[in-house]
Amino acid sequence: MPGIDRRLIQNFEWPVFVLGLAVSLVGIVNLISASPERSAANLIPETAWRQVVWMGLGLALLLATLLLDYRTLERIAFPFYGAVVTLLVAVLFVGRIVNGSQRWIDLGPMNLQPSELAKLALIVLFARILARRSATAPVGLLDLAIPAGLVAIPAALVVKQPDLGTALVLCVVSVSFLAVTRVRLSSILLIGTAGIAAVTIAWFFFLHDYQKERVFTFLNPERDPLGAAYHSIQAQIAVGAGGLFGKGFLHGSQSQLDFLPEEQTDFVFSVLGEEWGFVGTAFVLLLYLGILIRGLQIAHSSKDLFGAYLSVGIAALFFWEGAINVGMVIGLLPVVGVPLPMLSYGGSALLTDMIALGLLMNVSMRRYIF
Amino acid sequence: MNRLTASGSPSDATVEKRLTAVAVLVVAVWMILLTRLFYLQVVQGDVYRISAERNSVRTQRVDAPRGVITDRNGEVLVGSRPSFDVMVVPHETEDVPTTLSRIAGLTGRDLETMSASYGDPRGRARFQPQRVAHDLDRDALARVEARLWALGGVLTQVTPVRGYRYGDSAAHLLGWLGEIGADQLGRKEFAAYRRGDIVGVGGIEKLLDTDLRGRPGGRNLLVDAHGRELQLLSSVDPEPGRNVVLTIDHRLQEAAELALEKDHRSGAVVALDPRSGEILALVSHPAFDPNEFAIGIDPERWRELTGDPFRPLMNRALQGQYPPGSTYKVVTAIAGLEEKLVGVQSVVTCGGWFKLGRRTYRCWRPGGHGVVDLHTAIVQSCDVFFYKLGVELGVDRLAYYARQLGLGSRTGIDLSGEMTGLVPTEEWKVHRDHTPWVEGDTVSLSIGQGMNLWTPLQLASAYAAIVNGGTRYRPHVLKRIEEPDGRVVRSVEPEVLGELAVSPQTLATVREGLVGVVQEPHGTGSVMKGLPGGVLAGGKTGTAQVVGMPAGSRPDMETVEHEDRDHAWFVTYVPADNPRLVVSVLVEHGGHGGSAAAPIAREVVTRFLEGEADLYAGN
Repeated sequence: MPGIDRRLIQNFEWPVFVLGLAVSLVGIVNLISASPERSAANLIPETAWRQVVWMGLGLALLLATLLLDYRTLERIAFPFYGAVVTLLVAVLFVGRIVNGSQRWIDLGPMNLQPSELAKLALIVLFARILARRSATAPVGLLDLAIPAGLVAIPAALVVKQPDLGTALVLCVVSVSFLAVTRVRLSSILLIGTAGIAAVTIAWFFFLHDYQKERVFTFLNPERDPLGAAYHSIQAQIAVGAGGLFGKGFLHGSQSQLDFLPEEQTDFVFSVLGEEWGFVGTAFVLLLYLGILIRGLQIAHSSKDLFGAYLSVGIAALFFWEGAINVGMVIGLLPVVGVPLPMLSYGGSALLTDMIALGLLMNVSMRRYIF
Repeated sequence: MNRLTASGSPSDATVEKRLTAVAVLVVAVWMILLTRLFYLQVVQGDVYRISAERNSVRTQRVDAPRGVITDRNGEVLVGSRPSFDVMVVPHETEDVPTTLSRIAGLTGRDLETMSASYGDPRGRARFQPQRVAHDLDRDALARVEARLWALGGVLTQVTPVRGYRYGDSAAHLLGWLGEIGADQLGRKEFAAYRRGDIVGVGGIEKLLDTDLRGRPGGRNLLVDAHGRELQLLSSVDPEPGRNVVLTIDHRLQEAAELALEKDHRSGAVVALDPRSGEILALVSHPAFDPNEFAIGIDPERWRELTGDPFRPLMNRALQGQYPPGSTYKVVTAIAGLEEKLVGVQSVVTCGGWFKLGRRTYRCWRPGGHGVVDLHTAIVQSCDVFFYKLGVELGVDRLAYYARQLGLGSRTGIDLSGEMTGLVPTEEWKVHRDHTPWVEGDTVSLSIGQGMNLWTPLQLASAYAAIVNGGTRYRPHVLKRIEEPDGRVVRSVEPEVLGELAVSPQTLATVREGLVGVVQEPHGTGSVMKGLPGGVLAGGKTGTAQVVGMPAGSRPDMETVEHEDRDHAWFVTYVPADNPRLVVSVLVEHGGHGGSAAAPIAREVVTRFLEGEADLYAGN
């Protein structure tokens, strides 16, 4: 095959691979504990098994990603984006509704969540746009208008589902690209103003009452101790009760007695905190940090700008999802539905994470090949 | 690679500088997260550990009282009544099987059922009371309470349950309650509902569920590891559901039900106000008792209800479709008058039979009615007159006028599950049977036999339009919805669906005939004569054939097997000059309309007139 040559294998990107694999394995072990249907007869519950299958599939995709030169993505950035937007429109009409949100397209044995793919599509798209423009002149306002529109379309579609958390991730990841772009000061000020305006408009026209309620509750937890704050309080009790070494695997009373909300998905980190303590949470956070720093290094040593921006985007994705989710669980941020990469239960999210890791490795492994 | 040189090297100065800054930022954020985790887990760890050991906060849901349903006079039809339940807290009960068998002994309840409802509580459920016996009578409750001291972990509790004050009265209309289905939970309109919620399953309970249910509240309790409540942290009061006022008059409803139940017959009664479409009574018999559902119906009883050949769950008033029999003759009469094929003067000689081609069609009266005009034909329900007229009109013109009266389509009543009935046309028959329409079909059709199908509601609604001067109203059972404090949220006004494109003279001629049916000698509806207060009624009988009997050999219905007997119809209205009430009655396999259905209609009308008299006497 043309994609694999000896140098590619010699340059295999071990750090990202090992760190990513480690987080995923921690995720599986943690899910076993976070599954309420677990019993003596059913030691490894169905949710955990399904996640194992997803992980297998994800690893296969990750390795498959390596075969393909990431520069191919630069050529298909726009079609990819178009396809994802089409899927996002489709999901509003034919999507399956779970807990009041319409996010999934039913594909028989599995459900596809197009909003997860949208994260990748936007990263690839912006990497391409940035790589193709001259880096000498700073970016003006006009240069930002089109990218802003390109984020707004999928983000608005995702808000409609409604899935505020994913829309938020799409926006912050896109804005993160500005961190590695030279922007005029006047533009920054204008963007700030526009951002405030956008938030105001979203508040009055797009946000559902329950979503507003969460923001209020974060600002004032006493407001609704039965509703949104309940999640936050229970999650903090669980994490705090873990202490330094944790209560041990399967021994978290908060998790096992079903006090925790969404303990397999958005609040999965609290199960980890209760059962493995500060040692466990710090370990996992350091694994993430390793991926982030390594990601930035890969961006730095990339042989082309597209690879560099692609790596920055992927690092930004993991950074924001990790920080927002953990921040929410430990009471630093309001309750927003953002999954923790490779730890939260969810097939589409795990596949997206694995493909993202694969792309990161891809950029790293091709840094010397011309 | 040209692009690369054009856009500068990958380690472009900006990107390189920025990447270092970004890395510093990432590390800083991670330090914040780690610091917070250190604070929560190591510094405050013991505080949270105690909190978790005390099992912290338990959230208890407090259900909202469901709205009350009353009739038009404020009579409560559906409210709530207290149910005395026995609960067992798994965590506090040492020997559950023994405890359960002692409760079974005290209450006389079946131990197996009790174990089943106790289930196999795990996790958090072990700290919460599990219901083992529901709705105890006072004696059983007293026996349990007297021995509570010896039964650790057992407690009694009063919970409100839905109470249908009059048992099976208006059961189809009111509906019943059940646990929300898994398929419903996935749908958008049920987004606010949760697993285990009780929802309306049929009738008004289902239709107005979102109004009736209110909003549940909750209590946050601090409980210890043994499930003991230490402290009430906070609570949110439930918002009670809205109250619903129906257009139903319970007195009429009851009168109709009693009359229909008398001989254990199946059938339906619809009573409505022709001036507004308000339904005063809507009866379907046999019925069921919604109270059985309110405390959770037992599967065997459910199978019994669904498997019953008399189909008690079906609302015959709007779902039962029957050939209209002679009540159809008004359609033929209106069509004939409007198409100028018959005048008030035209006469036909009825010799007891009508010949078409080689077939002979009999009049119901052997020997015939002699010379009849339209009026006499309606009064005495002469078949031959209408055979002849029907054939001249043809099926499609009959269908045109039937549809005008709202037949063959839903009346639009504010209840779900209504059937359309059937008004056949030439095209319809070709489409269905692939055989052309023949004139013989029209002969049967013009006296209401054959392929026509009406629901009792459609019959009442069509006659309402004839007797009120030609206005079709949407029939409705909902009068208004009120907040618990009495503020009216929604009030249903009469809705005009359309005006009949029929001349007033035509309607007047038909009405004269309908009054003649009741008042004149030889009229088929003489049962309605002599009403209280000398009120005059109009009406029409109908007898719908269930099986085609050989022409001219209609046997005496008393000698025929029950399921082959004719359906009996009667539709009536009072007072004749300015109608305020239309009643339609269907008795399945009742035989003759005049003898089986009309007496039931008379009971309803009498009750209505007495009620009005009470009202005036009260003033």
